[in-house]
Amino acid sequence: MLLLKRGCEVNFIQSLPKTLRFLAAHSSASEPNEQEQFRVLELFPRKKSVMHEKQKTHHINIPPPRSNEMPIDQDWPSVWPGARTFHPASVPLPLRQGYQEKDIAPPNKYANAELMKIPNFLHLTPPAIQRHCEALKQFCTEWPAGLETEEKCMKHFPVEIITSDYCYSSPTIREPLARIVSLRVRISSLHLDTHAKDKLLRLLGNRYNPDTDIITITADRCPTKKQNLEYVRYLLTAVYHESWKVESWEAEKSVADMEYYDWDTSPSRTHLVTLYKWPEPPMDYDYETIPHATEYKIAVSDLINNGEDQYSVNKYKEAVKNLLNLKCDNKG
Amino acid sequence: MSDGDVGNADCDVNFSYILPVVQQTFMQRYFHTSTVVSKVQSGRYKITINRNKPLTYEMANPPHYIAHRKSWNSWNTSNIKDGNRPSETATEDMFIRKFMWGTWPNLFASEVIIKRQHNIIRIAGIITRTLTPYKIYFLIGYTEELLSYWLQCPIKVELVTIDNKKQMIFKYI
Repeated sequence: MLLLKRGCEVNFIQSLPKTLRFLAAHSSASEPNEQEQFRVLELFPRKKSVMHEKQKTHHINIPPPRSNEMPIDQDWPSVWPGARTFHPASVPLPLRQGYQEKDIAPPNKYANAELMKIPNFLHLTPPAIQRHCEALKQFCTEWPAGLETEEKCMKHFPVEIITSDYCYSSPTIREPLARIVSLRVRISSLHLDTHAKDKLLRLLGNRYNPDTDIITITADRCPTKKQNLEYVRYLLTAVYHESWKVESWEAEKSVADMEYYDWDTSPSRTHLVTLYKWPEPPMDYDYETIPHATEYKIAVSDLINNGEDQYSVNKYKEAVKNLLNLKCDNKG
Repeated sequence: MSDGDVGNADCDVNFSYILPVVQQTFMQRYFHTSTVVSKVQSGRYKITINRNKPLTYEMANPPHYIAHRKSWNSWNTSNIKDGNRPSETATEDMFIRKFMWGTWPNLFASEVIIKRQHNIIRIAGIITRTLTPYKIYFLIGYTEELLSYWLQCPIKVELVTIDNKKQMIFKYI
């Protein structure tokens, strides 16, 4: 019994401050309205009316959209000078954006977030671009004389450097792919003899394109574009000078080491000249005076270098007939 | 030796009988099927009985209509193929959204639109005119200043105001 009594007391004491606070809160809420009257206990305070009043006080009147008052011949680039998110009150166009499932018009430009999302080009109207060009003209220089055609450009500037710049919508300007540098040069614009060209092509490997006659050297091993550019230039210089070098062991190349058939150094030439000069022994192996010798040379070289097929065999046959001055029935 | 051999043979026979049985029971006991819980719910709203739930255009089109009926809320080049710093961009966008939500309490009637143009970040959106204009101007400056300090790039807040959030209602479901 004693315990129960104590429990009751404790509960009452604990709940007393709560009750008081409750009363105090309501008295303060009702004070501004009824200051002189007695305080009224509102067990269910009317919150809705308070909310309504709050909204009413914050309502702000604004003028109508300025697009209604814009003259039709206004200077649009000065209204919209730079890139900006779409604003319905500034753009005097009856725009609509959005998808409607029912057969009604899409939502208009007011309170339309879709129009604000998409990038617009309202700052890049043709008059605005024309003005940009006019402003930039003072910084332009004339095209250099003597470089009117593409051929002249190729002749005076044979080396072509290809690099890439990357533009991202992010605060960083670093892009690892921008380091790659390619150098393109036409092999005919390099000063090379037969040996040097042969050696250069061997050194280049698949960097030479025989169809277009262009060497492409690409470098991406250095971390910056400048380093790669210097490296590419160094590679071209090095490969050019290396191709002009004649090593001592290159003289040891025999006929068996030749990668192609050279008629000028072959026994075929000596036999031909010897046969032509017979019975005198030949003084020099000059074949220019022999009629049809050049044709024979080309036919033999093609036959051995490109392999036997019907065309090359026929060509060889004709060349031999002409060379030996045999009567040719098929000719004509 | 002969006994041992026989014993081993017995064991082999026993195992060869027992093993499949054990495997079978395991399979029977532990392999069970249930319905696939792959219902896609995010960004989709349930139809109410009275069809009086207001939806904005953004809410009315579920995520699979992005790029068909509605466009992205974040515009950047990080999410294109081989784009740089995608994770940093996503984190920054989330931070900007949280910041805008806290700085402009209960003001945004649309989603926060974050458009990145080179190093500029444009934050767009539709807000209600519940604050006085000078407070809105202050908040614009405050947002631009603080975010440009944190993200180390120019920030532009480009807002459109509306009278009431009811103007954003596209349809009722």
